[in-house]
Amino acid sequence: MTAMTGTASEKSPSADDAGNVPVPAAKRARGEFLFFTLRSKKFVISVSILLLLAIVAILGPVVDSTDPLAQEMLPMRHPTLDPGNWFGTTYFGEDVFAQFANGLRASFFIGFLGGGLAAIIGMLVGFLAGYRGGWVDEILNMITNIFLVIPTLAVLLVVTSYLQARGVLFEAIFIGGTSWPWAARAIRAQTFSLRSRDFIDLAKLSGRPGWKVIVFEIAPNMSSYLFLTYILLFGGAILIAASLDFIGLGPTGGMSLGLMMFNAVTWAALQLGIWWWFVPPGVGIIAVVGALYVMNVGLDEIFNPKLREM
Amino acid sequence: MRRYFGRKLFTYLITFFVAATIDWLIPRFMPGDPIAVLVTKTNILSPTQAQRMVEYYTQLFGLDKPMPVQYLNFWTSLLHGNLGLSIYGNGTPVIDMIMAAVPYTLALLVPAILLSWWAGNSFGALAARRKWLDNTVLPVGYILTATPYMWLALVLSFLLAFSFRMFPLSGGYGFNLEPTLTWLFFTDLVAHWVLPFLSLFLVMFGGWAIGMRNMIIYELESDYSRYLASLGAPQSLIRKYAFRNAMLPQITGLALQLGVIVAGSLVTEIVFAYPGLGHLVFAAIQNQDYFLLQGIFLFIIIGVLLANFIVDIVYVLVDPRVRVAMRGGTA
Amino acid sequence: MQLGKTRVVALLAVVAIAASACGGSTATPTVAAPGATTGATPAPVATPATTPAAAAVNGTLPPTDTTVYPRAETLYTSGKQWGAPSTWNPFDSNMAMGVVGLQYETLFLYDPIKDAYTPWLASGGSWDSAKTTYTINVRQGVKWSDGTALTAADVAFSLNIYQNAALGSNLFTIVDKVVASGNNVVVTFKGTPAYQEFSSALYNDPIVPAAIWTAKNDANILKFLNQGGVGSGPYTYKTAAQDRMVWVKNPTWWATAALSLTVKPTYVVDIVNSSNNAALGELLSGGLDLDNNYLPGIAQIVNGGYGVTTYFAAAPYMLGGNTAWLVPNTKKAPLNDPAFRRALAEAIDPNNVVVKDYGNIVAKADPTGLLPVWSKYIDTAQVTSLGATFDATKAKADLAAAGYKLGSDGFVTNKDGTAIKLNLEVPDGWSDWMEAETLIAKDAAAAGININPTHPAYATVVNDRNGTATAAPTFDLVINNDVQIGNTPWVYYDYIFRQPQIAAGAARNRNYEQYDNAAAWALVQQLDKTPVEDTATMKTICSQLQKIQLTDEPIIPLWYNGEWSQVNNSVWTNWPSSTTNQVQPATWNGYWQMGAIYMLTNLKPVTKS
Repeated sequence: MTAMTGTASEKSPSADDAGNVPVPAAKRARGEFLFFTLRSKKFVISVSILLLLAIVAILGPVVDSTDPLAQEMLPMRHPTLDPGNWFGTTYFGEDVFAQFANGLRASFFIGFLGGGLAAIIGMLVGFLAGYRGGWVDEILNMITNIFLVIPTLAVLLVVTSYLQARGVLFEAIFIGGTSWPWAARAIRAQTFSLRSRDFIDLAKLSGRPGWKVIVFEIAPNMSSYLFLTYILLFGGAILIAASLDFIGLGPTGGMSLGLMMFNAVTWAALQLGIWWWFVPPGVGIIAVVGALYVMNVGLDEIFNPKLREM
Repeated sequence: MRRYFGRKLFTYLITFFVAATIDWLIPRFMPGDPIAVLVTKTNILSPTQAQRMVEYYTQLFGLDKPMPVQYLNFWTSLLHGNLGLSIYGNGTPVIDMIMAAVPYTLALLVPAILLSWWAGNSFGALAARRKWLDNTVLPVGYILTATPYMWLALVLSFLLAFSFRMFPLSGGYGFNLEPTLTWLFFTDLVAHWVLPFLSLFLVMFGGWAIGMRNMIIYELESDYSRYLASLGAPQSLIRKYAFRNAMLPQITGLALQLGVIVAGSLVTEIVFAYPGLGHLVFAAIQNQDYFLLQGIFLFIIIGVLLANFIVDIVYVLVDPRVRVAMRGGTA
Repeated sequence: MQLGKTRVVALLAVVAIAASACGGSTATPTVAAPGATTGATPAPVATPATTPAAAAVNGTLPPTDTTVYPRAETLYTSGKQWGAPSTWNPFDSNMAMGVVGLQYETLFLYDPIKDAYTPWLASGGSWDSAKTTYTINVRQGVKWSDGTALTAADVAFSLNIYQNAALGSNLFTIVDKVVASGNNVVVTFKGTPAYQEFSSALYNDPIVPAAIWTAKNDANILKFLNQGGVGSGPYTYKTAAQDRMVWVKNPTWWATAALSLTVKPTYVVDIVNSSNNAALGELLSGGLDLDNNYLPGIAQIVNGGYGVTTYFAAAPYMLGGNTAWLVPNTKKAPLNDPAFRRALAEAIDPNNVVVKDYGNIVAKADPTGLLPVWSKYIDTAQVTSLGATFDATKAKADLAAAGYKLGSDGFVTNKDGTAIKLNLEVPDGWSDWMEAETLIAKDAAAAGININPTHPAYATVVNDRNGTATAAPTFDLVINNDVQIGNTPWVYYDYIFRQPQIAAGAARNRNYEQYDNAAAWALVQQLDKTPVEDTATMKTICSQLQKIQLTDEPIIPLWYNGEWSQVNNSVWTNWPSSTTNQVQPATWNGYWQMGAIYMLTNLKPVTKS
């Protein structure tokens, strides 16, 4: 779906007629990189949003140290501009902003870990299937299909019923272990098209073992693609976690954005008009995931000169 | 071609076999005794009544037979279209409960998927070449695709159903009506359908629009496009080829997205209490009715495999390179 | 080409919607045979009579289009049905809302507030002087909805049907014979009659037409779904779907002539529960008239000017429907020590739960655990002297006196020094109980008892509490409220003290705490054999039982769970209330025959002025 790295470094430097030695290509490439990075509006905006949210996630619970789960049966408050009440309170007097900040933390954590785990598995399966082909490919394909087809919800139900308490770590591992199939497919497809290239044949002829070819030749050529895949997995993990929390299968303790929405719906926020309870978590997820996707496209443009003209 | 499809079919059958077996194992792995749950949930009975109920349901669900026998029974009943009995439905056949819910889910999913795919791809393709459209479609598309399904459902429900009373809050059709072939009933059905459909449609639309836009740009910047342009080919011809090439990942994307879309419809149906499969799954989860879950998931597995198979066929028809690559050669 | 695509897609959309309209749901009464498993055809359905005579009786002509229900004539309820209506068999405890009560009726009604029995399908009943034979006078002039007369033979049959082993009833362990004679039915007993259990049968057992049910009275009786059956009640089956149950008024209901009672709504539509918040939304917007769900925060809503009212206008807002008990596993140390259990009872403050968790829509339970309607059986003097009240200091003192030393972590240890950690289990997702157990754990910790609140899946809780055929129950503490309000406190004492212990496994539903006390059980059986009119003897026995219960604390009463009921006054008014209309406001099974049927006869439509 996306392009591969433009290899500016393949060109070699040479002096021109005026005797000026042009900047070495590697340096030029880096400079070029930086230039386009900073020029890309999409990249800058999205990264700033993410940074802002990350700051809220990290510092929020520190600055606003109210316990997000403290139920005091206080009267519910609308959001105001007073410090400590930016997002108002829930039906039970819990501070929505504190819940929001804690939830953001959990979301970032799940995205990072869950997306990372999925990326690793996806890479393993994808590279192996794409490089080897043949019956290894068939078997891995079948496994991928099975994972694609099994309703992960069912597996989650079985596992959660045995665990007394589930933490965010468990959810991240579960999401990582079940959301890799599309990444594996995509990486496999890319590997397929790469492995017929000349430099791979060269590497094979020179007797390098398979795994070395993958790690040192194929992967670096796809590095931008892999990174972009990771970003998509990151965002996807956050969305999946929100869905699981929403149907009540999320972590048993702590707070998360999906859990906020679940609580809001369960305690009739919709019917009682308590919009400030369910709007912020949704906006938070949209901001994080949306920024990630935009960053994805921005990086795509940076890495692939062909897309830069827009 | 035949060998290719034969292989595919074989792969799918094995996948189905393994997935179905895993699916069958689910209720058996759940802790606790589903019969005890069923008996306990009714208002307290006399001890003899409770004992009788236990015997009745154990015999009904066939849980007193040894595991291998149960497994064989599972496959024979599956071939007869019998997906077992539901605890939540107090012994109603699972297939009946599923069939009552499927039309609602299909009515949501099929139009939503098809319309969003078509509309999203069209808008994305248009946006790829017109900067003003791109500047609106792009951010809107990103926001939509990053929106969690249930959040959009909540917001739509809150705004359009609750605040402005334009559409009903929940349900499949009004509680004051019975299904008849009247205009009144039809409009009521559609009114209940609009909000769940919209919340699915909008999110998916965003995704397709973004994807298509990126693909078109990529294709239009590729060598063959430049070559055609340098030969003086009309823009429309180039766009036509670019469009066809851009479609390929979108088609595979459709197959890969099915799982996500089904999950999305699940949460949407929960928010709107729309009586489809998602609503049934939620009820089954809440009532720990693992037989119903097993049946629904089996149904979904079959559906997803079928859809994947169809997409594979379509893809092969559209892209000749695939056939070559699948046989281990290089394109 | 794109335009063509639009057309195709639009066509598909229309087809999909049309398919859902046809496939949808309901079986109308004219369609035969429900599920494949039964192979039985439903009994012929009575359609509302459209003769002028019938119309004159009720004063309203049936609407011409019966597939659209006019709002002003329809009552929308919710709260009983957790799942699609799957059976209309009045002997199946999973029957749909209203099967017994609206369609089928019982011999008497019992009013728990007044503690009085009202003759219903029976015009009266009497014991002989020796109190060993009971004669039921069957009311004359009652017709089934298919026009045939209800006779003593039907009544006798309906009681004798409990001999069918498939129903698992123990009625015939206490009853010897049930014989119809003339317009009466004579019941003879085995030995001294168990008056309490029998009186419960009098107002709970449905009367069904022998003509139809004789053929069904075999081992497969529960497989007969009876969709659209023939009953004597004020409503008949109209239609049912995955999400609703619809009853339509029976114009030939006997009580209109005999007792001058008319049910006001023409249609009763019971909506299947999907979630509490959906129910709340419908209630607030006027889509529901009566909701019997637990709605969190209902107190605020009642006071918020939404037009929603409850039985009581102020706290506790709801009638008490059952008691929530803290059930310890008395076979496990240290819960096998009555002194420890007493300290536990003193450490917990149910008021905490009442206020913080429920917002005052429940009430703290009496130390005996008996519901307010049974307050005359509570020996108040004894409760004052023996009952455990919340007192953390006393709890600590009692623990120390019993030999439980305080450890360094602030929690008491067993007498042999091992740590005490009690797991309190409630089903996952029962949010009010999950909150309650956290509060209970906090209270206990203040007294030094280490309770760990957990919420495993419902099936796990049941498993741990009941045990299995091969393993004893493994729970430490659970919260349980199985036993509902009834006509006698005997049901509670049977629940607490039953012997012999029911085998561990799915069928166990009494004495979860596994408390063995032969003397107590002897008293419970004695209570069973006391006539229900003999309040004095009942009080004496209850007092003795309470003494055992208060000293030994086999289970600890916490709060009275509410008979959740909130109503919207926009279409119907004159709902049950503590001031004017004291009837049961619930549509749950068992409540219609406790007088909830009067709720429907007392209703008044709101007239637009």
